[in-house]
Amino acid sequence: MAHLTPARLVDLAEGTEPESAVPHLGECDACRRSLAELRATMTVVVGPGGRGDDAVPEPSPLFWDHLSARVRDRVAESAPGGTGWVESWLRPRVALPILATVAGVVIVAVVASRGPIVQTPIPSTPLPIGESAQLPSLPPLEPLGTADDPSLGLMADYGTALSWDDMREEMALPGRAGSTDEAVITLSAEERQELQRLLEEEMTQPSALGAS
Amino acid sequence: MGPVAGVTRDDGASLGELDDVRLLDACRAGRPGAFDVIVERHRRSVYQLCYRFVGSHEDASDLSQEVFLRVYRGLGRFRGGSSFATWLHRIGVNACLNRVAVKKPLTEELDARQHADTRTESPSERVLRQERGARVRAAITQLPPKQRATLVLRMYQELSHEEIAEVLGSSVGAVKANFFHALGNLKRLLGDEAL
Repeated sequence: MAHLTPARLVDLAEGTEPESAVPHLGECDACRRSLAELRATMTVVVGPGGRGDDAVPEPSPLFWDHLSARVRDRVAESAPGGTGWVESWLRPRVALPILATVAGVVIVAVVASRGPIVQTPIPSTPLPIGESAQLPSLPPLEPLGTADDPSLGLMADYGTALSWDDMREEMALPGRAGSTDEAVITLSAEERQELQRLLEEEMTQPSALGAS
Repeated sequence: MGPVAGVTRDDGASLGELDDVRLLDACRAGRPGAFDVIVERHRRSVYQLCYRFVGSHEDASDLSQEVFLRVYRGLGRFRGGSSFATWLHRIGVNACLNRVAVKKPLTEELDARQHADTRTESPSERVLRQERGARVRAAITQLPPKQRATLVLRMYQELSHEEIAEVLGSSVGAVKANFFHALGNLKRLLGDEAL
């Protein structure tokens, strides 16, 4: 006995074809069961109340206008001769990475234009370690302010122009009784001059440079 | 889009009064606002079709935009051999099938709001109905694409089997067979207690 085809069962479930026109249904339990299951599933899909029972969740009332506006924008972008190309380039998602890349290139170019960084050459031969270690002889230090570096001269000028009292006042140095700071602060002008001379003399000694 | 629907031509015909075919003619003629009226007229149907396929608002929104963009780009190719609704559904189904082919179906939240009339039901009935609806929608997104398309177009978009055959480019017999198998698979996915 041939069973009903799926198409025939669909027609029966939807009522397109009346059951009375199909005598096979009266004889076949399997086809009757299939038809009943088909109808039951259709009822679940649409819900007992019809389509509305299983409705798609309704979006916000503003959504429909937003959807129309977005469609209009996309249509304008795709329209020949439209301004879509410019607009798409002005979007933050496109423009920000481009701007970041341009900024990076500019920074690299500026740094590169300042020339290579001068590095002090490192001696190729390792320095001896121990008693025989000998540092290469260095040129003697010139008096402060007479070096080639103009910034040192500037510092020297500032140093001679600024008195200890001014410095103390400017920097709000605390004067602890008996401390070295207090001793320096309380020196007379002649004593300070002598101290400066002694310090400079000491600094120009080879021993001050660590040479043995 | 309200204002554009009221745009009138010199002969006094409002865009909102034109049927779809004449609106398409107006679009092709470059009449401003004509396509806006088409979108306004069909946006809910397209959105719901997309939602049935992808099961999420965000994806349905994106897909709806894509569908209308495809419609706009295909205006020159529509010759009126089928109805505009059939053509629109064909574009919509193709866009949805493309999307679901590359993206896994999402599980819909059970508390998604619905627009059914809830004034006559109790809170517990409402919760049950929402849960049942969400389960059905989730099960539909797990069907094979062609079965899903057939079921959605038949049960929710209320297209005839002949129209579905035209949309999907297959025979009426194949559509009915797909529909039959879709319902069978849905029954299996939902379990016996749902029936």
